[in-house]
Amino acid sequence: MRLQYLFSQAISNLRRNVLVVFSAVVAVLVMLTLVFGTIVLRWSIDQDIGRWDDNVRVIAFLSDDLTLEDIDTLQQDIQGWEQVDGIEYFSKAEALEEFRELFADQQSLIDVVEEDPSILPASLRIRPVAAADYSTITDRLVVIPGIREVSAADEAIDALVARSNRLRTFSVWIVVVLGASAVVLIANTIRIAIFARRDEIGIMKLVGAGNWFVRIPFFLEGIVEGLVGAALAVALVWAVSGSIAELFSTSTDSGALTVPIDFLIRNGLLIVGFGGATGLMGSAFGMWGFLRD
Amino acid sequence: MIRLQDVSKVYDGATVAVSDVSLEIQKGEFVFLVGPSGSGKSTLIRLMLRQELPTQGEIWVAGKQITTLPSWKVPLLRRSLGTVFQDFKLLPNKTVHENVAFALEVIGRPRHVIRNQVPQVLKLVGLATKADRLPTQLSGGEQQRVSIARAFVNRPLIILADEPTGNLDPATSVGIMRLLDRINRSGTTVVMATHDHAIVDAMRRRVVALERGRVVRDQSRGAYETPGQNPVEV
Repeated sequence: MRLQYLFSQAISNLRRNVLVVFSAVVAVLVMLTLVFGTIVLRWSIDQDIGRWDDNVRVIAFLSDDLTLEDIDTLQQDIQGWEQVDGIEYFSKAEALEEFRELFADQQSLIDVVEEDPSILPASLRIRPVAAADYSTITDRLVVIPGIREVSAADEAIDALVARSNRLRTFSVWIVVVLGASAVVLIANTIRIAIFARRDEIGIMKLVGAGNWFVRIPFFLEGIVEGLVGAALAVALVWAVSGSIAELFSTSTDSGALTVPIDFLIRNGLLIVGFGGATGLMGSAFGMWGFLRD
Repeated sequence: MIRLQDVSKVYDGATVAVSDVSLEIQKGEFVFLVGPSGSGKSTLIRLMLRQELPTQGEIWVAGKQITTLPSWKVPLLRRSLGTVFQDFKLLPNKTVHENVAFALEVIGRPRHVIRNQVPQVLKLVGLATKADRLPTQLSGGEQQRVSIARAFVNRPLIILADEPTGNLDPATSVGIMRLLDRINRSGTTVVMATHDHAIVDAMRRRVVALERGRVVRDQSRGAYETPGQNPVEV
């Protein structure tokens, strides 16, 4: 009966100020739509980065004066780095072979490299654990004597990693700025509800209602506002998740970009939980200094 | 039942509402707090309810030292007290029955207890037939009866009444006083702040007179004025 009472109070609070409650719910909705949308967008970018992982190689061109033992020591040393997944030695002969294949129709170029073997150096081809690690590997390689030059695949990876990081920063700012305004708007609905019920609360306190008995309906009100806003945000983003994923994608294969259901469920629940927490904070903030004996 | 020890209450560090009051009220007593407006009657009631804390001194109510009572225990203290005010403090959108039941609901009394006790207490105050009316459909005296029913429904040890007849005509006031007297005879301690001369003189109960926050007279079976003193016209 008490539980029923607490819920009925919360519901009648919500009904009493539909407009104010609406504004609080919309604030949560906007904030969490942006946050959840950003999460999905980041997922698609990370997918893109992931596609690069298998193909990225950092190539360290070696000086001609290194002995085979030198190269062997270097190879084992690099193999031990945590960012390095695998390493392969590519001799001058193999390089020439590869060159011949690549430029088979340009005999004049082949003639040039065959005349001067120093043009095509031997190299170590390093496979990073993750594509994003290539810059760390490059940085470590360039300072090693005996390595003439380092070439790493791609500025494209850099751009993707940067974009992913920018999105992370963006979502943090959304949470800070819009989160604060959502909390304030919820706090406002709670204040109004307290004000509307002040006579009732006064009597409740006089006849000895417990402090939590008085507070709980207001907490419930705030939590419901947060949860409803969050649920709407999840539904909205879920509905358009495919379009969000394709927004920046470099892939032409659209089938690859269906956001997996379990990813949506996992992060959706997180968002709903976050909405509830926002509501809880808003209620606590709204009751701050009120509802004392 | 109630004991005040050297109690003072100063508002904003300047306005002295209650000054060095010591008072002891036994179980089952009926005590009038009398005095002109601003003499500290209402402040004393609020202090006993722990709606306010004294600036100095100690207060015991129903066996508890309420000045040091942690705030989460205040609701438990209030359950042993019933309160009646000049403005009735009824909820306008609830019926008579609901207003009284509300006091039991919010302290978590089971439904069968509520169903049993509310009609009983409404019968006691003479409103058994008006249980489904809204407060606005009742006279002032009837509304005050509802508020007394609400104060008494949980069988408190003490009833604290702040000017309960302040908004009522003399004839209606007599009815309210009969009711409070009846409740007192059942063993409930009653403390009532009033400046109604006629009531105090007619009841001949203990009178504690206040002036500028000090107790100037404490007399059993007293009158509103000291014998020989000229009545002050308000």
